Amino acid sequence: MELSAEVQEGLQLCGDSAQISDSAFNFLLKAACNTLLHGRQRDRGVLDDPSVSQSDPSVLKQVFASLTTLFLEAAKHNADSTNTSSLLEDSKMSPDRIEAFNNVYMSNKIELQSVLSSTGSGFPHVVDVDWRLDYYMKNNHLDHVNEPTYLVTLKTEEPGSSQLKDVQFACTVEQLQDMVGKLKDACKSMEKASQS
Amino acid sequence: MEEVDNIIIHTLREIGCGLDDDVQSLKHFSTENIVEATVKCLRVIGDGVNISPALPPGMSARYRVGTQLATSCQELGFRGDIGYQTFLYSNEADIRRVLMFLIEKMPKEAAEVASEPMGKSAMLKRSIAAELDRQMKSAWTPSYCKQDGLCWRGTKPRQWHREGLIGVRRFHSCPVRTPEGVGDITKKIPKDLKRYYDKHLQPLTSQPPQSSQVVPSVVEANDLSVTAQQEWEAEWNQQGLPSRLSEEDYKARKRQRLEKRISDQLRQAIQQETSKATAGRDLLQVLSSFTDRGAGKGVTKGSRFTHTEKLQFAQDEETAAQMMGEGPRVDTEEEMQRKREEEVEQLRGQLEEVTGQLQSLDVEMKKFTAGIQQMEEKVNTEVRGRSDKEEAYKVKKRTLDLLPDAENNITKLQGVVDGSSQRLVNLAQQWEKHRVPLIQQYRELKELNANRESQSEKKLEEIKSLREKMKEVADEARGKDDVYKQLASEYERMTKDVNRGAYTKRIMEIVGNIKKQKEEIDKILIDTRDVQKEINQLTGKLDRTFAVTDELIFRDAKKDEAVRKAYKSLAALHENCEQLIKTVEETGGIMREIRDLEDQIETEGAKKTTQNLDRIMGDFKQMKQENSGIVAKLKGK
Repeated sequence: MELSAEVQEGLQLCGDSAQISDSAFNFLLKAACNTLLHGRQRDRGVLDDPSVSQSDPSVLKQVFASLTTLFLEAAKHNADSTNTSSLLEDSKMSPDRIEAFNNVYMSNKIELQSVLSSTGSGFPHVVDVDWRLDYYMKNNHLDHVNEPTYLVTLKTEEPGSSQLKDVQFACTVEQLQDMVGKLKDACKSMEKASQS
Repeated sequence: MEEVDNIIIHTLREIGCGLDDDVQSLKHFSTENIVEATVKCLRVIGDGVNISPALPPGMSARYRVGTQLATSCQELGFRGDIGYQTFLYSNEADIRRVLMFLIEKMPKEAAEVASEPMGKSAMLKRSIAAELDRQMKSAWTPSYCKQDGLCWRGTKPRQWHREGLIGVRRFHSCPVRTPEGVGDITKKIPKDLKRYYDKHLQPLTSQPPQSSQVVPSVVEANDLSVTAQQEWEAEWNQQGLPSRLSEEDYKARKRQRLEKRISDQLRQAIQQETSKATAGRDLLQVLSSFTDRGAGKGVTKGSRFTHTEKLQFAQDEETAAQMMGEGPRVDTEEEMQRKREEEVEQLRGQLEEVTGQLQSLDVEMKKFTAGIQQMEEKVNTEVRGRSDKEEAYKVKKRTLDLLPDAENNITKLQGVVDGSSQRLVNLAQQWEKHRVPLIQQYRELKELNANRESQSEKKLEEIKSLREKMKEVADEARGKDDVYKQLASEYERMTKDVNRGAYTKRIMEIVGNIKKQKEEIDKILIDTRDVQKEINQLTGKLDRTFAVTDELIFRDAKKDEAVRKAYKSLAALHENCEQLIKTVEETGGIMREIRDLEDQIETEGAKKTTQNLDRIMGDFKQMKQENSGIVAKLKGK
């Protein structure tokens, strides 16, 4: 896990009890974590609190930014409490504060990771399927076709939209069997991967 | 035997035998347990065993299983007496022997392979496999039951995985700003910047326009900064340090270089563009094409040419409109209009004349000013020439003055010249005096400088090597950290119920016991040897005394009847005693035999023979029944 010079500077500020009092530190920890987890309270009032009123607003902003970055980076690298404590020790933070940080971090790590996972992209995800079996009897050129045809509609989720999208196709029995075989193969290789 | 049983049971549990917790020794093993344990052991040893670990209900099938097990044990090299009865009608000692043999045969490489340290990728693969396994095992949830496509499972530790893409957004970041250097009192930050930080800069998480952009923005800002720093460091190490410039100088020079390159490129591009342009297109058009491209600015910043064009056209249109509007209104005004136009025309003509005059005057003025400059230069050169000539005149006048008294004056002049040359020599000597130490000093300083340079170079080298070392050490530390982590996880994964300490203690105790027993045996052996020796001595003594007395009495026996009697009774006594000893020895042998037999009885009793016999009888009956059933079936058919 690597942090930029600005963030490290902010963390050193954070360990300075002359700049940030204990109550302000605790408030900042919670504020940083909560704004990341529940992105709703994103107005300017994040840092309006009686416990931080004595501190310099620009110091507060820098410390807040560093703590936010540290939370995200630690969760991103799946760091455990030993990693974070050694990092904070390098920033000359007192053991009490390190413990306070680790408490907040370890209790919210999984949620932070889930928040991180919501950024990204992926292939459409099939969640549902509709199908219909038609019997294709004849067309303009042939009098006897007599083949069953499956009409399949896959409902998929796509990143960035809350609506389901349809993927429609028609196929013969053999094609459908082929597709099912492919799906089974995929399942099997997943199982194999999960056991290695 | 207890320790052996413990080890066997522990090993069996490890390879997956379903033994109950209250099974403490091999005595408690049922037939099912024995068969299962043997089959599992055989499976661990070799793959080719396809005997079911569960005992079949039918008697004949059981018999078959027993024989199969016995043959496979023999194939593995078991030398003792083994058959189906060993498994089906077990006794403790046989089973112990078989199981010990099998456990010794079990491959130990499996454990050794696992203990080898694995690479990072293997760890990653394993954790991926574990995660996949977990996700595959969890039940499917319909998409409308999940919040933001996340499946949460369990409480403490809560686990989640993403299923579907409902809550997923693409990576979209925006630049964010944070205050810098506000805590450092030594560094002053500008007042305006400080005010901006205090009053107007928003907290980090409020800066991105959407809440979903907070995370990407923060991550990107950090990564950008880190990579920029790393690149700068790499560049500084590779190019900056050897150039021996300070950081600021190096940066300034780099900027200059870049700016120069950019301007060169631009110039080249413009040249190419102009050379390509056809005769009709001039630079203005190129420029206007540039300005047209910059959409917003192009409109306001058109070239002057386009401006005038526009204005002219606009005027024409206006006048045209005026004419159109005024034409049909008043006829008499047409004349006035014409007059006015004429007047305007006249005035314009005048104006043009005047401007023409003005321009010609301007040109003349310029000419005149140029003339003035020329004249001034001329005057200057003349003045200079005059002063030169005056100098020459003065010298000539002096020589002319001196001419009448030529010889005197020549000697005087000679003297003056000599004096001045003397002075010159003096001055040269003085200069030399001054010069030598100065040159020396200069040389010394030069040397010093060179030394310093070489020193600084050395130091540079040192710094470089130190940096490399630092990197190496950091890499090493990282590698060791990785190995440590790996080993720690390996250690966690390892089963900890193998209490090696207890085992070794037991083994040591056993060894101690055996030593003690050996000592005791040695003692007893010595005792018996002593006793044997005593016995031998005594028999020897007896023989000797008997022989002596026999001789003595035999010699007297010929003469005396009483002595003959005594001799006879002595012989009888001797014989009787011998018999007695023999009997005692025989009793000893019998006693030993009895003990042996008792032991045998005990072992036989331990073999549960009666029980096994009962079971054999039961099984026999069952088999008979089965046979009769089969026969009945056959007949029924």
